[in-house]
Amino acid sequence: MQQFLQAAVIGVSLGAQYALLALGFTLIFGILGVVNFAHGGFYMLGGYVAYSCVSLLGLPYPLAVIGAVAATAALGWVFELYFLERLIDDHLATLMLTLGLYLVISTGSLTVFGPLAMEFHFPVTGAFHFGSIYVPKENLVVLVICLTALAALWAVLFRTDLGRGLRALADDRAVAMAQGMRPKLLFPAAFALATGLAGLTGALVTPILALSPGVGDPVLATSFLTVILGGLGSLGGAALAAFIVGMVEAYTSVYFGGSIGALVLFVLVLLLLVFRPTGLLGREVRGA
Amino acid sequence: MFRKEPVLGGAEIAALVTMAAAFAIPMITKNVLVYSVLNQALVGIVAAQSVWIMLRMNLLSFATPAFMAIGGYTVAIAGRYEITDAFLMTALAFLLPALAAVPLGALVLRLRGTYFVLVTFVLSQIMQLLLFESESLTGGSNGIAGVPAVTLLGTEMMSNRQVLLFACGIAFLATVITALLTRYFRQHFAAIEENEILAESLGLVVWRYKAVGFVIAAGIAGLAGYSLVNMLLTAHPSSFSSESAVDFIAYTIIGGRGTILGPIVGTALLVYATNLFGTHGQYAQGLYGILILAVILAARGGIAGTAAAAFRRVRG
Repeated sequence: MQQFLQAAVIGVSLGAQYALLALGFTLIFGILGVVNFAHGGFYMLGGYVAYSCVSLLGLPYPLAVIGAVAATAALGWVFELYFLERLIDDHLATLMLTLGLYLVISTGSLTVFGPLAMEFHFPVTGAFHFGSIYVPKENLVVLVICLTALAALWAVLFRTDLGRGLRALADDRAVAMAQGMRPKLLFPAAFALATGLAGLTGALVTPILALSPGVGDPVLATSFLTVILGGLGSLGGAALAAFIVGMVEAYTSVYFGGSIGALVLFVLVLLLLVFRPTGLLGREVRGA
Repeated sequence: MFRKEPVLGGAEIAALVTMAAAFAIPMITKNVLVYSVLNQALVGIVAAQSVWIMLRMNLLSFATPAFMAIGGYTVAIAGRYEITDAFLMTALAFLLPALAAVPLGALVLRLRGTYFVLVTFVLSQIMQLLLFESESLTGGSNGIAGVPAVTLLGTEMMSNRQVLLFACGIAFLATVITALLTRYFRQHFAAIEENEILAESLGLVVWRYKAVGFVIAAGIAGLAGYSLVNMLLTAHPSSFSSESAVDFIAYTIIGGRGTILGPIVGTALLVYATNLFGTHGQYAQGLYGILILAVILAARGGIAGTAAAAFRRVRG
């Protein structure tokens, strides 16, 4: 029982991280129709910016996290406006542009920071004990911030004009534009929002896990799995799938270990593709 | 429905002549560096052609390393039983991945564009896991070392020159298959690339051509895996990582997706450029990234397409 609850705690905290990543990924696809291969790159960049702020500029960690969000969001904004925007309706071209950006980001990080993992630690250490359950404080902090960010994202998307505009563009771009939505402003905003979330996740999670030039790859793969499972472009689906993925990973690693968890997820995804190609909560998606 | 075309066009003939010319290089030099670069390029060219076949139908596939692994490990496992006959193993390295592609194709070809990309990416990740997990068959994280050399008509292809000549042969074979396939289905593939829904509504049985393309692209990838294992004399999961799919895609896009010359030119130039980085080969990925951005934004034809356009302009 204790092990069962322990795994649940790990699963929820993994799920919250994956949700932040997958929501950004699916937001970009839903609104812009772009598959963002650079998503893992933005996660990694968030980690490196936070690391630089802490160790080079001597900023306190919370400010470093904000710096990481600002930097990744700014890069996302610029990249959307000057690169993606020109070919926004060509799915394959935008996909390759983000792939090119990812290669540039990861090689850039490698050049600046070298191939070795960074000495980057979470400022809060120790653990809470609830009865016999053991919860590391750092995971708890990350979980709280992730849940707050998820709530904030929900509020932005469903309670503000910006969010209504973004969702309108996702539903039907032509009609939304006829109603006065401005894609030149909203598209970069959506992209920046999503990359900022990836940067936030990176800044929060890399000090706990690891920070090295390769950390973007598994993040990208997990984001893919999560959004396929949830349905490409579906926000609710992404959040639900993120927690499923987190739980599956946590329980398989606690009870079986090794890479069984990944295999279970892959099988889940393949089964889903056979029986329900649009994902758990997806519907017939644009051009996909 | 479609008009008759000559069996091969100018680009296909140029590609075949180029690949035939590659046989001459091992005959005129013994330079180890040239051998190494050429051998890597020959493996890459075959893999890039597999990517290119799918791109003809506007499908970007990350599954190439997965099918390469099937072909490569087939050869390595057969080597354990002293089965090294070149013709038999070439046939198996092509057929087994192609067979595996039949059920997989039925699964993934129901998906259009974006989903197809994501799922092929996941497929190559699954293959990585399977290679690591099925230790009794694949040697797990140790891989299979000491794969015996190919036997061609009773001769063991042991020396560096013979290995390279064999790689030339595989690459030539793959180019012939790719050229014939894409030429024969040129207009079908073009119709799917241009507008799949329109093509379907005009009576083209789209899934049939996609399936044929996917299965043969898998076979071609298997040949690349054979060539790679034969070059390294080792089959290891790291040779078939899903990240290597990015390299093959980069070769194809940067070389140019317009004709079969694209993957050949792109692979040759990028493999050469990567070797210029020497021991810092990991930085080459940055170069690929910048070139991909440049090609997509400024020169959609890639190197081969841009060169062909410039040539046409000069000639008037």
